[in-house]
Amino acid sequence: MIDLGLIAQRLDEAAHNASAIKQLAEELTIEQAYEIQKQSIDRRLSRGEKRVGMKMGFTSRAKMVQMNVSDMIWGRLTDAMIEEEGGTIQLSNYIHPRVEPEVVYLLRKPLAGRITPLLALDAVEAIAPALEIIDSRYDDFKFSLTDVVADNCSSSGLVIGNWQWPDTDVSNLGLILSVNGKPMEFGSTAAILGNPIRSLVAAARMVAEAGEELPAGSLVMAGGATAAVALSSGERIELELESLGRASFSVE
Amino acid sequence: MTETPSDQADMRAPADDILRAADLLAAAMANREACDPVRLLIEAHGLDGAYAVQKKLESDAIDRGEVIVGRKIGLTAKVIQSQLGVDQPDFGFLTDAMEYGDGEEVPMSRLMQPRVEAEIAFVLDRDLSEEGLSLGVVMNAIAYAVPAIEIVDSRVRDWKISIVDTIADNASAGLYVLGGTARKIDTLDLRLCGMSLDYAGEPVSTGCGAACLGNPLNAVLWLARAMLRHGNPLKAGQVILSGALGAMVPVTPGGAYTARISGLGSVTANFSEVSSSGSGKDE
Repeated sequence: MIDLGLIAQRLDEAAHNASAIKQLAEELTIEQAYEIQKQSIDRRLSRGEKRVGMKMGFTSRAKMVQMNVSDMIWGRLTDAMIEEEGGTIQLSNYIHPRVEPEVVYLLRKPLAGRITPLLALDAVEAIAPALEIIDSRYDDFKFSLTDVVADNCSSSGLVIGNWQWPDTDVSNLGLILSVNGKPMEFGSTAAILGNPIRSLVAAARMVAEAGEELPAGSLVMAGGATAAVALSSGERIELELESLGRASFSVE
Repeated sequence: MTETPSDQADMRAPADDILRAADLLAAAMANREACDPVRLLIEAHGLDGAYAVQKKLESDAIDRGEVIVGRKIGLTAKVIQSQLGVDQPDFGFLTDAMEYGDGEEVPMSRLMQPRVEAEIAFVLDRDLSEEGLSLGVVMNAIAYAVPAIEIVDSRVRDWKISIVDTIADNASAGLYVLGGTARKIDTLDLRLCGMSLDYAGEPVSTGCGAACLGNPLNAVLWLARAMLRHGNPLKAGQVILSGALGAMVPVTPGGAYTARISGLGSVTANFSEVSSSGSGKDE
């Protein structure tokens, strides 16, 4: 019998203390991995953190092929993960953080279950450019599918830019991720499942499969649009997203 | 300019090497059978020698009755430049025989080891033949921007190319497809416009305008200056393929590739199945 609670505790402590652990030795099912994630986040909630939404992962076909999976993965976001836009993050709070450019949705209505893109969009209050700081709790950022799901899909920080009305077509917005003013990654939101709204549709389906819903006010991080860039101290990170604007932070 | 006998002797050997390199590439193209890299023949003559090979291929094409309709710019991504150890782009020629329409079938029999990339093409309505070219002059000379798919191809086996090989081989130009949605550039964000190259319903390459030298217009200015220096300035009516906005993707025979560029519309390259008469090429 695998002690899921114990694994949840180890992952929570690794995140809390910003110290990496070995990959999980246990053979887990995907359901067990999500249960560990839930219990690990419950530990955060019991310390007073608030649930604020969910993040989607493996939202590119290339990533799914690389990980040999046929569906996306998702993780839970809490208020403590939100870093100030335009502010400075402390590298010491992270293990080996990387940053990815994303689009984030803010919901004005609850979402759950199998829905159409039209219904998904109808539930959107606003959209914004966002930077996700991912930070695997495992040594060398290496993990299996169940490892990463148990580890809350590496989610660790988020920086959200200005909110915009949701009437912008986000299916193919160009973006530049810069480090200290030098462009590092070029991309398009089309890399997120061909259109980020599909990620929101998938989020509604997957959250319902877990017996939960996305309440009004939830944030949904739609998934990375380029390869992740490793962070070092002294860097200024900026995302510029066509039509939607910017989001940035510094690393100390 | 007068030449001394010794200058002539010095010039002869390189000219032979350049002709041999051009012959090898022309034969590879004609037989659809990739050749060895040509760099061993012409490396000593540097980039000028490589452009001399390309010039020979260009005049051969004109002799066959093809018409030069524009230029392509290659190596416009910093990462590709550093892979090839250069700090500037390169260019090649485009002829009327290389052009296909949006959605029209592109015969695989004309290609060897094709790859596709999504680009912005510009159509000029003024010559760029005066000294002192600036971005302003270039912007004034652009009539329209259209979405384009460049089908790059290498006559060199397995794409094992150096900078000298690719320049000699017409900057690895193959064929190209232009979209029919012509836009004035004052309505576009050429730097931040998103690009998605889709195959079988999935984005297989994504990027944006800035991936091409920071802005595709920078590439056009570089080309205009380079062509002026080579004594072959860009002319009204010419098409410029300005450079890839994302990674290039190997072509699957029978596949349809659609490039979507935000603000510019879309264009589709629709490849035929491999033709049995296409002879033994890559695999």
